Amino acid sequence: MLEIRDLHASVAGEPILKGLSLTVKPSEVHAIMGPNGSGKSTLANVLAGRDNYEITGGEALFEGKSLAELEPEERAQLGLFLAFQYPVEIPGVSNMEFLKAALEATRAAQGKEEWDSVTLLRKAREACKQVDLDPQFLKRGVNEGFSGGEKKRNEIMQMLLMEPKLALLDETDSGLDIDALQTVAKGVNSLRGPERGIVLVTHYQRLLDYIVPDHVHVLSGGRIVKSGGKELALELEQHGYGWLTGGQDGGNGKEDRTA
Amino acid sequence: MSRDTALNLPEDLKTRALENARQATPVEALAPLRRDALTALEGAAFPGRKTEAWKYTSLFPLTDGHLARRAEGEAPADLPMLGEYRLVLVNGRLDEDHTALPEGVTLGRQARRLEGLTTPFAFYNGAALEDAVTLDVAANTDVSAPIQVLHVSAGDSPSHCNTRLEVNLAAGSRLTLIEQYLGDGPVLTNAVTAIQAADNAHLTHYRLQADAGDSLHIGTLLFQQTGVSRIDSYQLMAGNRLRRNDVRAFLDKSGAELNMHGIFVARERSHIDNQLCVEHRVPECTSNQVYRGLAGEKGRAVLNGRIHIHPGAKGTLAELSNKNLLLNPGAEIDTKPELEIYNDDVKCAHGATVGQLDALQQFYLQSRGIPLAEAKRMLSLGFVNELIMSLPDQAVADWAQPWLAAELGQRPGADEEAA
Ligand SMILES: Nc1ncnc2c1ncn2[C@@H]1O[C@H](COP(=O)(O)OP(=O)(O)OP(=O)(O)O)[C@@H](O)[C@H]1O
Ligand SMILES: [Mg+2]
Repeated sequence: MLEIRDLHASVAGEPILKGLSLTVKPSEVHAIMGPNGSGKSTLANVLAGRDNYEITGGEALFEGKSLAELEPEERAQLGLFLAFQYPVEIPGVSNMEFLKAALEATRAAQGKEEWDSVTLLRKAREACKQVDLDPQFLKRGVNEGFSGGEKKRNEIMQMLLMEPKLALLDETDSGLDIDALQTVAKGVNSLRGPERGIVLVTHYQRLLDYIVPDHVHVLSGGRIVKSGGKELALELEQHGYGWLTGGQDGGNGKEDRTA
Repeated sequence: MSRDTALNLPEDLKTRALENARQATPVEALAPLRRDALTALEGAAFPGRKTEAWKYTSLFPLTDGHLARRAEGEAPADLPMLGEYRLVLVNGRLDEDHTALPEGVTLGRQARRLEGLTTPFAFYNGAALEDAVTLDVAANTDVSAPIQVLHVSAGDSPSHCNTRLEVNLAAGSRLTLIEQYLGDGPVLTNAVTAIQAADNAHLTHYRLQADAGDSLHIGTLLFQQTGVSRIDSYQLMAGNRLRRNDVRAFLDKSGAELNMHGIFVARERSHIDNQLCVEHRVPECTSNQVYRGLAGEKGRAVLNGRIHIHPGAKGTLAELSNKNLLLNPGAEIDTKPELEIYNDDVKCAHGATVGQLDALQQFYLQSRGIPLAEAKRMLSLGFVNELIMSLPDQAVADWAQPWLAAELGQRPGADEEAA
């Protein structure tokens, strides 16, 4: 469902992704790990279509369509979902209003039946419960004044309602307490299925105890430098990234890394 | 009309205004006011290109000849009803068939000479009045049901009307007043509304201006807080071909409190100019002003917020906040707080900003499948939502929500221009 070939991308003119390839098939869970600044969020943002994140080479196909040619909303309507590393606060727009607009647009585009407001409210409350978020949060401004962990749970709550085909979770585990980590993992696992793909960006092996990945990749210097099974995450936990990145930090420093 | 006429516009307007005033049908109850106003008008000058207070607003649209004729159209059949009681003025004349008032409120057809009205348009309003409405709220009366006053302008060729409303709240009275302006056709409404509040009076005031885009409006709203009173005013305004709102407030008794909240929106090629002036003349009064403005396409919005704290007005609390949102680069908003403080013992805060829609917020909404146009509309609405949520009367909130939703929706061509 996701096919990335030799992807090059720059942020505000600065090259960050430098030849990244990755294939995600339905039912698979992929974990992406890697040092700070290596390009993990950049990859997620490029796929979701954020402004100023520009594909300069290679291609990224989702459900056979070239993502570069789609507006961000069209990607979401096709079933792509990004849980943000830093969810955005929108004062003045209530969470409920936001969910309503999002679900109306995506469900209509996907030919799913429309939810009336009673159904929507019921589903939203259920989703809140699933991630242990007080339904009162539906009335508040989107992420407005939410704690770090509440923001992450709010992302997962949205994901549960939107039932995406491909979910990209960018460090959804960071900032969660131990109980919340399990709750969120349960939420994500409930979404696993033969039709769905999940890409987890994480720094911690711990999350992968709860959401067991089929594949683990190490992103460094804008490329995937190592791929393996779930045991790779354990190795990384023990040895760090140094053995993979040749002692360099693997971030996008000024040095030009050639293959 | 030709450019030559435009060059002489201030004089031309004055000549027309004087002529109209002298030819107006005599009305006995209004005669003293009209005489006074005519004298003032004779000594006044209409604004021209160099007049500071009219820096951002040109009277060029009036070269179409609005002052040459009085508007004579008829009001549409179905007029909105926002309160239990309603009063309708069509082109400045009271429509007696549509008038109903609650107990404790007396209707008069006269008008006062008003201190604080100093503009030539306000003088003209007084000098040429053929009808006026005064509402007197009896002492210690709590008028629980809101009174809606509809100012309707109607005409199909360039013309004008003078409309005047005065409301006097006697001691201990309480009133909710919904002033609504409706326009149909190229008519200039030259409006004066004056409100006086005595001790322990409390007024909730709404000013809803959503007249059609080809209408014009020049008006003054005057608050005279002669008693220890409280006024909460909510002003929701759309730009049109020419909209100029002067608001002048006099806090004249220690303990008086004035709260003004406003939203103004200028889309397409519309124009709105707000000139606010709050006069603190005695100690220990409070004024609080919160305005939010939006402009899109080639819209143009102006706010000038003057706070004048007189030498004796010690212990004054005065605040003014005006945040603005530019929906695209072709639009323009000019905002300026203007403080004149003549004593040290005051707490005065002001802030004015002009910003744009946040790109990251837009992306966040889009990433959830919400189309860009809808995302922009939601964010614009979010920008003013706090104010809408705080409207104390549900009927007004119910009117305001769809009005704003339409006013803040995507306009054809907006994206082309941005691209
Ligand atoms: N707007 C920008 N302009 C220039 N460089 C940018 C911009 N945004 C991000 N970068 C750079 O791109 C690189 C990759 O950042 P990215 O956020 O993708 O890293 P990451 O792998 O997600 O790191 P982390 O683990 O800390 O979240 C970093 O060096 C960052 O400084
Ligand atoms: Mg990141």
